[in-house]
Amino acid sequence: MLVGIVLLVLVVLIFLSSVGLYNTLVGMQQNVKNGWSQIDVQLKRRHDLIPNLVETAKGYMGHERQTLENVVKARQQALDASGLKDKQQAENFLTSTLRSLFAVVENYPNLKADQHMLKLQEELTTTENKIAFARQYYNDEVARFNTSAQIFPSNMVASMFGFKSFDFFETEDPSERQAPKVQF
Amino acid sequence: MPYSFTEIEKEKGKVVGLVFFFLIVFYFVTAIILYWSIKSFSILQLNTESERLIIPYQWMGICPKEIMVILCISFVVGIGHWFFSVNNLVEKILGVLRAEKLNPQDKYHIMFQHIIDEVSIATGGTPLEGVVVPTMAMNAFAISDFNGRNVVGVTEGLLARLTRAEIETVVGHEVAHIVSGDCLTTTVITSLFELYNSIRMSLGQMISNAKAQRAKTDVLIYLTYGILSVATFMGKILHMFLSRQRELRADAVAVRLTRDPLSLAQSLYHISSRWRGAGLSGENLEAIFIVNPRFSSLDEKQGLVADLFSTHPPISQRLNTLLDMAHSDTKILEKKFLEQQRAARALAPEMLTSLPLAPTSNKKDWIINKDGEWQGPFSLQDLSAFDWMQADTWIKKLGSDRVEQAFENTEIRDLLWKRTDQESFRCPKCQVDLLPRQYEGVTLYQCQVCGGSLVQERDVSRIIIRQEYDFSPRIKEIARKFYQEASKKLPHIDLTRASLYPCPKCQHIKAKMLRMLYSLVYPAVIDKCSFCGFLWFDKDELEILQCMIEEATQKNA
Repeated sequence: MLVGIVLLVLVVLIFLSSVGLYNTLVGMQQNVKNGWSQIDVQLKRRHDLIPNLVETAKGYMGHERQTLENVVKARQQALDASGLKDKQQAENFLTSTLRSLFAVVENYPNLKADQHMLKLQEELTTTENKIAFARQYYNDEVARFNTSAQIFPSNMVASMFGFKSFDFFETEDPSERQAPKVQF
Repeated sequence: MPYSFTEIEKEKGKVVGLVFFFLIVFYFVTAIILYWSIKSFSILQLNTESERLIIPYQWMGICPKEIMVILCISFVVGIGHWFFSVNNLVEKILGVLRAEKLNPQDKYHIMFQHIIDEVSIATGGTPLEGVVVPTMAMNAFAISDFNGRNVVGVTEGLLARLTRAEIETVVGHEVAHIVSGDCLTTTVITSLFELYNSIRMSLGQMISNAKAQRAKTDVLIYLTYGILSVATFMGKILHMFLSRQRELRADAVAVRLTRDPLSLAQSLYHISSRWRGAGLSGENLEAIFIVNPRFSSLDEKQGLVADLFSTHPPISQRLNTLLDMAHSDTKILEKKFLEQQRAARALAPEMLTSLPLAPTSNKKDWIINKDGEWQGPFSLQDLSAFDWMQADTWIKKLGSDRVEQAFENTEIRDLLWKRTDQESFRCPKCQVDLLPRQYEGVTLYQCQVCGGSLVQERDVSRIIIRQEYDFSPRIKEIARKFYQEASKKLPHIDLTRASLYPCPKCQHIKAKMLRMLYSLVYPAVIDKCSFCGFLWFDKDELEILQCMIEEATQKNA
């Protein structure tokens, strides 16, 4: 009788903690998805800004057609890319072409002083930062989820219900946001 | 995030509940003391022993029934006070701080809005609102209410002096208070008592003025002053519910959000080495600010008393923690600070460069898509009159295969941009149209003939606070001479009717602009329209005023 009660209590406890772990994992999974959608929104915003940027720059940069064409090409590639790995590659390429475009802009004082260009530059700076922050949030959430899905005992719940680890959104250039490394 | 949301909610509920309990206890104790003093006074007045009735179970001469009544009354008053304070609390605090909404045309405000959006994304999408306080002081604050409204505010001085990365970390710090839940507690505690300190201070001013003039002051004023003094004292006691460690936690979360401890250390160093807002309205709401606006020696101390009553940890402690994270030291900070102060600035342009506007053509060669149907052809002039045309409207030029959105075409885009500035102002001296120009991040309207400019009143203080440009030696010389002469004798104001200008905006023929001094300390002569509040500056006048104020504040610093 006593053994029966102990077993019953144990079963109930295991069931309740499994429910708790399952719910936590689902919550974390939702955070990861939210993080991904934030990245997507910002990437789309960057794609929308580029035609405007190219139009403004075209008038001043007759000799730098190649740089502008590279940006347009990179944008098209990013639009066509599907799947996380392809997308990462295309977006990183777009970031580097944009960076070379802004380096070239420095040589054109008239373009630099253009009010539209200044507005666009601020828009692009904030979009780049937003992409970086969205990626940071996404990666933090992915790390939290992946850790939970791998440590005991939540890994048992994760494998039972088929929770799969997420891939990180990596950047090619780790010094992209020029901030010193943090040591916690 | 260091906390989960359930933990935050629990923590929030616990502290706010404690504060409410404290409020009720405060009213109960005050009422008991008042009642007891009145009662003992009236009992002493009675002569015979028989009249002093002895009631069983009484405490200090107050029976349980009376205690119950007093408890009920203090409960009702406490709830009344609570709801009065909590109702619309964000607006009340913003009102005391004289905070303003962001101007979507202002370069600095656009950047600040972007930074807020960026940090919001770093937290996973916390809704945030930005405001600015138009003062030269440097500080930042965050407030929240029970409806989930979160406001982050900075002063114009901070926006003008710190770099983008530094502002980002300051916003990160403020947002850390919001996401970790302590912002609501701080806001509620501030709104309960300290919000009324500004009224107490103005009453104190009134009383001392009356004393100086040997005039009589109403008893009611003394009474209100007394009650508000008690309230201010209670506000200080309530600081016990605020851990000064929360600032250190917010610094840590800010670093986690922005991954940039050095910029946060630089901002703290910058803010603490300059004027943080002491003497301004709202300086006593110290708990909501990143750095206490008033220098308090208690803040710089360690120990139980400081831990209990101080709202901020020592700046040196905060700096050391951040510098440890960044592997840097205070010498580097000092060096950077001095470098930034001595950095050469570009000269203010004699005549501001114009916005490039495309000439409008009369050729009807555009068709546009309205509600799914192609219409036209129209000329550029026609298009500028269509108020339904937006940046994303589909357009096509005749003879071209390219279908594009309005913003993608430079000619149309210029037209859309121009439309937002289409109000035309006329120079009061030359009668030509004034053109919109960007100067120190704000839009002003300049005459291309005489160089005079029309500026909105609120933008004048922004132009003065922001020090983007340096001044030519000529302007510096004029400003110095003017300031020296004006300190001896105020300049003459020519008030002859013929010399007064009509307002370039309102263009009333009879009502002219008022001619006055900018202030008694900086007595530059300005023309102001009493209808629209716009100010007119003749050529160089604005720069002279800016230069005069900048040199005087540098000398005083």
